Amino acid sequence: MTNPFQHGPSGFNPDVTFTGFLPRIRSSYASVVSGSNPGLASSSFRTNRLQYLLNPANDSSDLYSTRPSSRHHSMSPEHHGHSPDGGASGSAHRGPQLPPLSRAFERFMDSDSPDAFYTPHMNSGFFTPSYLRGSSYIQKLGEAHEAKRVQTETQQQAGGGGSQAGPASASLGSKPPASHLGMTYDLIERAPAFDSDQPVAPLPTRWSTQDKSIGLEVSVDGLEVKYNQTVRNSREQEHEVCSIRANHPMPTQAGIYYFEVILMGKRRDETTVCIGFLGKNVNLNRPPGWEPESWGYHGDDGDVYSGGNVGKRYKDTFGVGDVVGCGVNFRTGQVFFTKNGISQGMLPLITLQTRLRIMRRRSSDLGSDHDIGVAFRDIKGKLYPAVGVKKTGEHIRVNFGQSPFYYDIDKVMRDEQETIKDAISRTSIKRLMSPPINETDLIQQLVLQFLQHDGYVESARAFAREIQNEQQALRINPDVPIAGVNIKDDDDAHNRQRIRRAILEGDIDKALKLTRTFYPQVLDDNHGVYFRLRCRKFIEMVRKSAESSSVVNKRSNGHYGDDNPNEMDVDENGFSDSMEEDAIDPQADEDDLIEYGQALEAEFKDDPRREIRRTLNDVFALLAYTNPLEVKEIAPLLDRKGRVVVAEELNSAILSSLGKSSRSALENLYGQTSVFLDYLREDGGPGSLVTIQSVIDEIPKSQPF
Amino acid sequence: MSSSNVREFEDQLRHAWYIAEVLDRKMTSSASTATPMKHAFTRHVEEVKTPKSDVNTLILDYLTVAGYPNAAAKFSTEANLQPQQPTSAIQSRQRIRTAIHKGEIAGAIEDLNELDPSILDKDEPLHFALLRLQLMELIRACNNSPGRDITPALQFARDQLGPRAATNPEFLEDLEKTMSLLVFEQNDALDPSLAALLKPGLRREVADNVNKAILERQQQRKEAAICQLVRMRAWAENTTRKDTKKDLPARIELGLDGDDTDKQDGQDGHEPMNTT
Repeated sequence: MTNPFQHGPSGFNPDVTFTGFLPRIRSSYASVVSGSNPGLASSSFRTNRLQYLLNPANDSSDLYSTRPSSRHHSMSPEHHGHSPDGGASGSAHRGPQLPPLSRAFERFMDSDSPDAFYTPHMNSGFFTPSYLRGSSYIQKLGEAHEAKRVQTETQQQAGGGGSQAGPASASLGSKPPASHLGMTYDLIERAPAFDSDQPVAPLPTRWSTQDKSIGLEVSVDGLEVKYNQTVRNSREQEHEVCSIRANHPMPTQAGIYYFEVILMGKRRDETTVCIGFLGKNVNLNRPPGWEPESWGYHGDDGDVYSGGNVGKRYKDTFGVGDVVGCGVNFRTGQVFFTKNGISQGMLPLITLQTRLRIMRRRSSDLGSDHDIGVAFRDIKGKLYPAVGVKKTGEHIRVNFGQSPFYYDIDKVMRDEQETIKDAISRTSIKRLMSPPINETDLIQQLVLQFLQHDGYVESARAFAREIQNEQQALRINPDVPIAGVNIKDDDDAHNRQRIRRAILEGDIDKALKLTRTFYPQVLDDNHGVYFRLRCRKFIEMVRKSAESSSVVNKRSNGHYGDDNPNEMDVDENGFSDSMEEDAIDPQADEDDLIEYGQALEAEFKDDPRREIRRTLNDVFALLAYTNPLEVKEIAPLLDRKGRVVVAEELNSAILSSLGKSSRSALENLYGQTSVFLDYLREDGGPGSLVTIQSVIDEIPKSQPF
Repeated sequence: MSSSNVREFEDQLRHAWYIAEVLDRKMTSSASTATPMKHAFTRHVEEVKTPKSDVNTLILDYLTVAGYPNAAAKFSTEANLQPQQPTSAIQSRQRIRTAIHKGEIAGAIEDLNELDPSILDKDEPLHFALLRLQLMELIRACNNSPGRDITPALQFARDQLGPRAATNPEFLEDLEKTMSLLVFEQNDALDPSLAALLKPGLRREVADNVNKAILERQQQRKEAAICQLVRMRAWAENTTRKDTKKDLPARIELGLDGDDTDKQDGQDGHEPMNTT
């Protein structure tokens, strides 16, 4: 798209990105209202004067031949309320209506946008604002969205098939029962308990179609808002503003929230758009910022308002063609605005360097008796992105993150994350243990304990020996004995290792036998684990039968697809799987399967617990498919990863029976960290900015060497 | 099949069973136990999934980066993970570290130069730290020798450290501090900062820095991810206690020691709970 303003004088704007940029004549929003509100008039008079002095560049607008100087008259109140035609005639000879920042619209207009990242998400109604990628908030939101999507799908799919699962148990709530998948979603939704205390707040995705003043029209996609004079024409409302709220409040859990508003429309001057955020019940016939629980940056005077109609000097005015962004940092409670990709005033106080720079600049900056850059402080709670418009024909479009932003908000996010990361790096771990212990020793102990706990016998031994050698080397006085590294439990660890290996190899019978031999009480005391092992055995049989039949099929089709050894022969835990090797007569498999299934049913049919019933139904449902491995919804049940789950469960049960913690200290530490971070996310605290995953992701994925 | 499906399924089973067992317990054992209610924090922690794959990755990463070649090799076999680095690479770092730990600094410098001939030239502070440690070891040796002959230490300081210290005030300060150890008799009560120099902590510190420098030269990460995780744990607790009003147990154990006395069935001994 060509820049519609190329005929305009270039080189006047210092920012080369916006060469087509035209100066606007300042039209104070407040001055328009002055007739009815004397108090306002004086305040706006002051600010206008100030602006005039501070922004002599505005004068230069007179020099442009394309701009009739008579435009200045439009500032007077009597010009207000002209018909749209009047406005249009004024702007007609100034060129096409598209704002100069036409780049901003290419993405909306060009359906072949190369930026494919956004397209699929927009289709599904789910999108990830760039600065939130990888955050725990967006991950949770994505999970919730996915769960909902699948649930809807399942409901449709399940149709009348709900009978097989029986009534939903009371503890699971009254979610639609239906198939085995129905159960999944019940559980996903309640999986992490504090999530259900604190449901994931959605992102604002569009303007509300209800939560707006009457004069506003919302476009079909929900992103554009137009002030339609014909709808709202009453004289006494003239000096009021039409505001609109987004469909959801800004999610504090995101840590930082940012959105941008693009000012469209025809008029080049006397724009009166206010951008900010509001509480749920704030009057929408007032501009954002003029009411309690209301904050806004006003385009006509460049001031920011909060809780009243006396503005605070902020920065530039803005008008048609500008892209104005609003960012809230929930950790610091600070708000800043951007214009055309440039932070207004200062960066939101992040690094020490930034802080120093700001302090230095502040001393030389005239008229900054408060922090510029930071428009508001102490912002918290449920606040809705909002925009207010005054004049007919005014037209804005919002970007809630569906498209790339003009301002580099990603960098702000990265800097914030860096700040937290630095703070973490500097944290002493001494107090994690009493008596205190240094970091090296603590980590060695954590690792060694994990290896022993999880039954990595060989590794534990090797590591203990290496630690011991290290301590020996470090010893300064050879007479001082070193504390021996304690490797106990070898028998237990070894037994547990054998049992685990059996399960991971899919040999459930062997695991059961070993468990009965070494830990006879465990299976009786942990009925649930026992039941799941028995079900897993059934699943393994289904798997085996499905695999052998699919092998047969594939072979007969001439392309036997099992030549990727990584996929089939070595499972997740690296135990080569002998089951595929012995291709048995599928019919015999099937008979065994039915027989085992009947035994399983007989054994548990009198169990009163609904969960057992449901699980059995789920498992038996596998028989309904000719090749369950190829049914997307079923295949996860059969996956080898399920073995890991059962194996770990049994391992934990054995450990408990031995009077040991079922989790290693490292896993405790992981879990505790995760919970703390969740606590620190609740109101957009620093936990929003870090994840455990980000630490783990720094480990390169098995790079070749 | 996507891994998220799999995870969903794992959750499904686990939670179905958790609920079933809770119900079961309620039905069968209401009389037997009056188990104290768990602290909300403890319950939350128990609900966190700690994916084995993540934990295993952390462990292998640590064994590799921190330099435990035998354990790393065994673990990548036992947990069937692809090794991060060849064993030989980890071994050569371990060899250098062991030499430093033993106080055999000359040998360590030799090995280091063999591994990466330009590493010490490019990293003056590292080179100086090694030489100063070598001086420390000479002082230690002379302190332990019957005649307390300080000549070798003095000679070494003049030849090796003096010229370098002249170029950098920090080096000079370190050198002066180290030299002052020569002045004191062995049994003098030393200033704590001086006494620290005689402890093995200094060897460990220098060895760590050398390990990091080698890794950095090889464009590897300098530090194992588990270090940041452990600090993250400490930071997150500090911050939660300081900045939120969350009700937390007075002390939150990692469960490292006292495996045997550890609470059975995940029950937390401390803080007999008031859940809000």
